[in-house]
Amino acid sequence: MISAKDTVEEALRKAKAKKVYLEGNFVKLLAKSLPTDVKAYVEECKERDTKARRKRLEVNKRVQSQNKELEEAAVIKEALVLELQNALDDAEKLRDEAVEDLDLMQKRTQFELIGLIVKVALIIIVGVGVTTTLLYTTAMLADKDTTILGNAWSNLFGILLTNSFSIIGTIMGVKYATEKNG
Amino acid sequence: MIDSILLVDDEDLFHLVFEDACSLLDMTLSLEALNSSDEADKLFKQWFEEGPIDERPECVFVDLNIIGSSFDGIELIRKINNDYGNGVVIGIISSSDDNQEIDKAKAVGAQFWIIKSDEIEPRLEDFLKDYSGYENKTAPFKVYR
Repeated sequence: MISAKDTVEEALRKAKAKKVYLEGNFVKLLAKSLPTDVKAYVEECKERDTKARRKRLEVNKRVQSQNKELEEAAVIKEALVLELQNALDDAEKLRDEAVEDLDLMQKRTQFELIGLIVKVALIIIVGVGVTTTLLYTTAMLADKDTTILGNAWSNLFGILLTNSFSIIGTIMGVKYATEKNG
Repeated sequence: MIDSILLVDDEDLFHLVFEDACSLLDMTLSLEALNSSDEADKLFKQWFEEGPIDERPECVFVDLNIIGSSFDGIELIRKINNDYGNGVVIGIISSSDDNQEIDKAKAVGAQFWIIKSDEIEPRLEDFLKDYSGYENKTAPFKVYR
C-alpha cells in the first residue's frame, strides 16, 4: 500500500506495479508542469481513462439504441395484439352471425318441407275422400248395392280423418319444439 | 471549456453517455445530472433566494419531456429565465425535433436545441464552438441536428 511516508517516485512505482491508474476528471486537473516521471504516469492515466470512457460510451450508446428498439418493438407488439384482438372479435361476431343464419336456413328448410308434406297429405286425404264420396254417391243414385262401398267409405273416411289429425299433431309438435330451441 | 454543466434528464443511461461525451470532448470538469425538473427547480430557487450564486452551473442542458416531473423542460427554462434571475446558458437536449416545441423553447429564452441521437459528440463539438456566443448572448438560437 502507498503510505504517507512514500516519496512520489515510490508511490508511482507501487501504483504502476499494481497497475492502478487515476481515473476521471481529476487527472485533467493536475498541472502540466509536473516532474517528468509523474507527468508520464499522469499521461498514461489520461490515455487509459480516455480509452475506458470511449469504450463505455460505445457500450452505453449500443444499450441506448437497443432500448429504443425494444421500446419501439413493444409499441408495435401492443398495436398488433390490439389488432389481433379486434380481428378475433370480428371473427367471433361473423361466426355467431353465420351460425344464426344457418339455424334460420335450417328452420326455413324444415318449415318448407313440413309445408310440402302437409300440402301433399291434404291433397291425398281430400282426393281420396272426394273420390270415395263420389263413388258412394254415384252408387246410391244409380240404386246399386252400396254395402261394400258404404263400409269402405266409412272405414276410409275414419282412417283418413285419424291420419289427418295425426299429421296435424305431428306438425304442431315439430313447430313447438323448433320454436322452443330457437 | 465550460466551467460547470447541469444536465436535467430522466434517463440515467443518457447521463452516462453525456458525461463520457463531455469528458472525451473536454467540455467541462464539473458535470452534475438530475433526473427531474422539480429537483432542478428546487435548486435554482434555492440559489436565487439564498445563494451562493457561484454554485449555479454555467450551462444547463434540459430534456424536453422529463418523465416523473411536474413540468416539462420548456417550463423549467421559463422558470429559470423569468423567476430565478436567468444568468446561465440554457437550452434543450431532446430526441424530438418538433418545430412547434422548438419555437416554444425559443420563446421562453432557450438559446439552443440539441437533437439527441447515437452521434451526440459532433453536435456537442459544434455547440462548444458556438459556446462563447451563447455566453455573451450574441449567438442566435440554433438547432443542432
